[in-house]
Amino acid sequence: MSYELNRKLAAPREPLPTTAEIDQVTADIIRGAFETVCFESATYLGRAASSPIINQSNERNAAIVDAHGRLAMGAIGTPHLTFVNQMETRWGLMNQERYDWGPGDVFLANDPDHGGGHLPDYNVYGPVYDEKGELICIQTLQAHQGDTGGKDPGGFTLEATDVFTEGVIYPCLKLVHRGELRKDVFDFVVRNNRFATFAGDIAAMIGGVQHAAKMLEDLLAKWGSETVKAAINHSIEHTEKRMREEIAKWPNGTYEGTVFIDHDTAGTKDIKVHVACTVDGGQLTVDLTGTDDRQDLVGVWNTFANSRSYVMTQVITHLDPTIVRNEGMFNAVEIVIPEGCIAQPPPNKPAALGSFHPACEITEAVCVALSQVAPERAQPQLYKIGMPNAVIGFDENGMMWMDQGVDCRSMDVSAIQGLDGWGSCPNSLGNLILSEAEDAESRFPILNISREMTTDGGGAGQWRGAPGSLNVKQVLKPTSAMAWMVSADHPLRGMCGGEDAIPYTNHFEVGSPNERKIERTAQDLLPEGAVIAYQHGGGAGFGQPLLRDPEAVKEDVLDEYVSPEAARAKYGVVLTGSLEDYTLAVDHEATKALRAEMSAMAEAAE
Amino acid sequence: MTYRVGIDIGGTFTDFALLKGDEVVLHKNLSTPEDRSLGVMEGLGKLAEKEGLELGDFLGKCEAIVHGTTVADNTLIEMNGALTGLITTEGFRDEIEYRRGFKEDIWDVRLAPPKQITPRRRRLTVPERILHDGTVHHALDEDALREACRKLRLQNVEAVAISFLFSFVNPEHERRAKEIVTQEIQNAYISASHEVLPRAPEYDRTSTTVVNAYVGPRVIGYLEKLVQRLVEGGYKNQLMVMQAAGGVMTKEYIDGAPIRVLASGPAGGVIGSAHTGSAKGCPDLLCVDMGGTSYDMSLVVGGQAPAEAGWNMHHRYLIGVPMVKVETLGAGGGSICHVNAGALEVGPKSAGSEPGPICYGRGGTEPTVTDALVMLGILSTDEGFAGGSFSLSKKGVTEAFQTIAEQMEDVGDDYDAEQAAFDCWRVVNANMSQGVRRTTAGKGIDPKDLVMLAYGGNGPAFAAIQAEDLGIKRVLVPKASPTFSALGTLVANPTIDEERSYIASAKAPDLDRIRQLWTDLSTRARKYFTDAHFDADDIRVNYQLNMRYPGQNFSLSLDYKADVPLGDLSFIGDDFGERAIELFNQRHMDEYAHIREHEIPEISGVRLAAHVETRTPKASGGFTPSGKAPTPAKKRRANLGEGFAQVPIYRGKDLEAGMEVMSPAIIEETFTTIVVYPGWKAQVDDAGDYQLVKA
Repeated sequence: MSYELNRKLAAPREPLPTTAEIDQVTADIIRGAFETVCFESATYLGRAASSPIINQSNERNAAIVDAHGRLAMGAIGTPHLTFVNQMETRWGLMNQERYDWGPGDVFLANDPDHGGGHLPDYNVYGPVYDEKGELICIQTLQAHQGDTGGKDPGGFTLEATDVFTEGVIYPCLKLVHRGELRKDVFDFVVRNNRFATFAGDIAAMIGGVQHAAKMLEDLLAKWGSETVKAAINHSIEHTEKRMREEIAKWPNGTYEGTVFIDHDTAGTKDIKVHVACTVDGGQLTVDLTGTDDRQDLVGVWNTFANSRSYVMTQVITHLDPTIVRNEGMFNAVEIVIPEGCIAQPPPNKPAALGSFHPACEITEAVCVALSQVAPERAQPQLYKIGMPNAVIGFDENGMMWMDQGVDCRSMDVSAIQGLDGWGSCPNSLGNLILSEAEDAESRFPILNISREMTTDGGGAGQWRGAPGSLNVKQVLKPTSAMAWMVSADHPLRGMCGGEDAIPYTNHFEVGSPNERKIERTAQDLLPEGAVIAYQHGGGAGFGQPLLRDPEAVKEDVLDEYVSPEAARAKYGVVLTGSLEDYTLAVDHEATKALRAEMSAMAEAAE
Repeated sequence: MTYRVGIDIGGTFTDFALLKGDEVVLHKNLSTPEDRSLGVMEGLGKLAEKEGLELGDFLGKCEAIVHGTTVADNTLIEMNGALTGLITTEGFRDEIEYRRGFKEDIWDVRLAPPKQITPRRRRLTVPERILHDGTVHHALDEDALREACRKLRLQNVEAVAISFLFSFVNPEHERRAKEIVTQEIQNAYISASHEVLPRAPEYDRTSTTVVNAYVGPRVIGYLEKLVQRLVEGGYKNQLMVMQAAGGVMTKEYIDGAPIRVLASGPAGGVIGSAHTGSAKGCPDLLCVDMGGTSYDMSLVVGGQAPAEAGWNMHHRYLIGVPMVKVETLGAGGGSICHVNAGALEVGPKSAGSEPGPICYGRGGTEPTVTDALVMLGILSTDEGFAGGSFSLSKKGVTEAFQTIAEQMEDVGDDYDAEQAAFDCWRVVNANMSQGVRRTTAGKGIDPKDLVMLAYGGNGPAFAAIQAEDLGIKRVLVPKASPTFSALGTLVANPTIDEERSYIASAKAPDLDRIRQLWTDLSTRARKYFTDAHFDADDIRVNYQLNMRYPGQNFSLSLDYKADVPLGDLSFIGDDFGERAIELFNQRHMDEYAHIREHEIPEISGVRLAAHVETRTPKASGGFTPSGKAPTPAKKRRANLGEGFAQVPIYRGKDLEAGMEVMSPAIIEETFTTIVVYPGWKAQVDDAGDYQLVKA
């Protein structure tokens, strides 16, 4: 629990010793089998869990870590979880004797200071041994839990100044010993969680790991552990090579990106994230030096493992998406994170909110930097929302329910070169299935009023960002609601001349005398009938708006993504006819003239 | 003599299966894409000719013509359905565009959006709101609705989908809206969500309804034309149409929700498999269909291929109606072998049938799985292929695999075209095996406990080696396998499979409400069956519940009472909830190997699966050794996984029931090639079908 530990956890690992040689095709076949194991494990969890964030939002991930602690193969799930799990598994690996590891064991870890992400991201893992008793790999399964037993329901405490406030911390806790559930431990973990359905969820995680571990044992028996180790080595080496080949296509140089968070939860303004990406042949270095390190900041501390994960999530977005995801990625990219900055906090800092910000600003800054070398894939993989409005109440048994606010919506889908932003969220969040009104209203005393995209809610550009949505809902019983607002002063950045996204805004008790805009944070008791309205920021534009095809602008106006006024003011497009009767047409001559005039004015202004 | 005819239209061929007495006659003729009903009539003419009858006399003797159509699938592939508008609840205009956040590839930011069936300008909203308990929170604003109709009229829409929140609980607003839209937009095809998919949640229901509106006019138009031609030809009964849920039903029923025919082709194959497998004493099957472009996998458990209504994404739209689950991999005979950054990959890109594999000699230049089989000597270049219509050629094939060999990294100097082809065979085998494992995983089934049934032109060439990999010990290869979908339409029972949403704790369900919902579903089923001249007494019903633990997103369907007469609800008693909980926990244990002892599950819907048993072709199994040894026609140099050697080649027509073919061997059948891999043997069973078993 120190910077020194972080250095140890992040240190490169050697290949597994093996007597076997392997060919590419056999290695690929074994890798495919490992991916299937992960698929099964994640599927098992997704189907058996009852927490909406797992079974509806799909916020879970399965991966295999090798005996050296390397991300071996087959990560299935949320990209942002994909690159975290091996770090906290390494802590267990370093302490095998201390924790009495053995076949049939299953562990739980969630410690931000021992290689973990924030507390709600539970990592359940089980070591897998060959018939000789040699540890070969570890099956891991991560899922975001709806509560962590801390001060506030849900695990997010706006004013937390340490991690203890946020919940119960497990560096490496044995849940199953040699195949037998440790009931006292299990009951203890379950007791420290407010969620009525948590016991079922954690049981589903254990089941998913055990199911996968059995499959891995069968694979070891089939192929032989030496061959499997050779396959793992081969796969990691191949990924590193592919990464370096792709990076080598970029021009050498240093490319920088700076973005800001509006404020921390205590109101300190303009929290800075700075990234310098240096390309040198096939080597990429991502250096976060210059990132904010004010020690009195509140809420904006992202764990070391998370920061590394978010860097990697964005870096690989800019590369060939068919590259197999494993430790080879970290071998090809050096990640430098200064000790003590908000991306590598001192021990015991709170961790919950940091997984939103600055985690997402790290991806954004990497994207701004790499947009200079790979603009055709420059879409930030993030959520600029501070946090969704969490609406929380208690049922007649005193058990908590929470509408997490992960509703159908549109936010943060920026354009890239050649493609307008589309859909509800950036790709890397594309397997998080969003909640529906009919499901939510059948369970919770809430009424969803509206969740449509806002006209002109997307950043203008040669390619346009997807408009953000305005989500309005009403609480039908008194409930508490929690909010943290950012991305209003510093909305999502446009790329390569595209305009920024619109700011996020959030209002409570809309239409009542108490209507108020949430500027920073809120933790309020809402009266029955209160309406809350969240305007999501939408995606940013790519390239200069004046270069957008005027016909595409006309189509946007017909679809009410863009208003006739903005077509003229932002895109310089002059339309004739009427939207009301669908007779719009582009006046090409007038458009040409207007665009020339606007360009001249812009140049003059510069 | 009366006849039953099963017809399945594929991309290239239209297949026919004629049932007369216990005998099945198969026929294939080319499809006629410009007007597919012409190909149907042509094939029926051929069948009549075989029976020595005029078409009119033949059709007059047909008690049922059962049809599987790909019209809906083709409409979505070509995206040329009706110009469609959507009317939905105010505030919910964009659900169909959000897709619940789903993106098919979470790693590729260059993934393009699906083409929108209802772009935003044709998605209009009206003020109205019904709550989860069915009460009206906000009355339907009829003026606003008429204004929305005006806007859609201006845009010349041909079809309108109506989807309001909670219409599955209280459909009054949708019903009224349908009346008004019918008045306001004349001749438009109207699809109301409570009629198409009466269940939550709204995206699933809306997407299904929108696609229904989009494909509806084409499906109905096609079926009407076919019915007209059949009637003119002398057919006197109702046309039965295959549904993706695995049953058939009348055109009149399909007209209510034409989306039910989407993906019905593969379902027919699975139903045919279930029938054949059951007859051969194999109720639990892994069905694999490897054709030109894809590898389709499905499961038959206990002789049944149950339909599921979950997250069925078809052509990038969610289709919520029940479907026989068929998983598809881009691994077919036409799948292209290529090297990506030093690694060998097969598919998903396919050369299709035009230009097709290089060995077809139709201009294909990229090596495919079929070409690899030619390189390995598994497929013959000597004589007719695919029924003798044309021959395969090795010209250009070796060169293409040589190029692959040169692009491969980390291989020795002696790595040549034959080795590259062999590695392609290994890769595609592995892809298929992993695909199977993922399919069985979702069900918690271990493939080694299943019997494989292989069909499609390329399935039997790979079947035994995959079986080996998956631990499967027996593979069935029916002789009729090339026309399995047509056979499936023939054996599928007339079926109505519907559900209604009802959410309540299983501890205290409203029994009157449940009784009412099942009665409503029963009344509907009775109407459609009796309209089709079935005797109501012959209708058998499974009354089912959808249940889940609170908070679970996926419900499990279970039979509350199976195989009872329609309308007999006497099983509903005071212990209803208690028994439901018991049945659900058992089902949950089977599916997930655990239950939640302290949680009370909830009911999320009531279902009715009604069917009428119909006459089906006889199928049988069993193997009685005849002691007669088959004689190979010749030998050929081939690699069946253990290096090149001279392999005996048998002709299917030379093999009789009771014969055994030991490995290694290749059996060349009409339309397909069966490979007997090392460690296996082929037997011709008493019904004349093949089975591959471990030697």
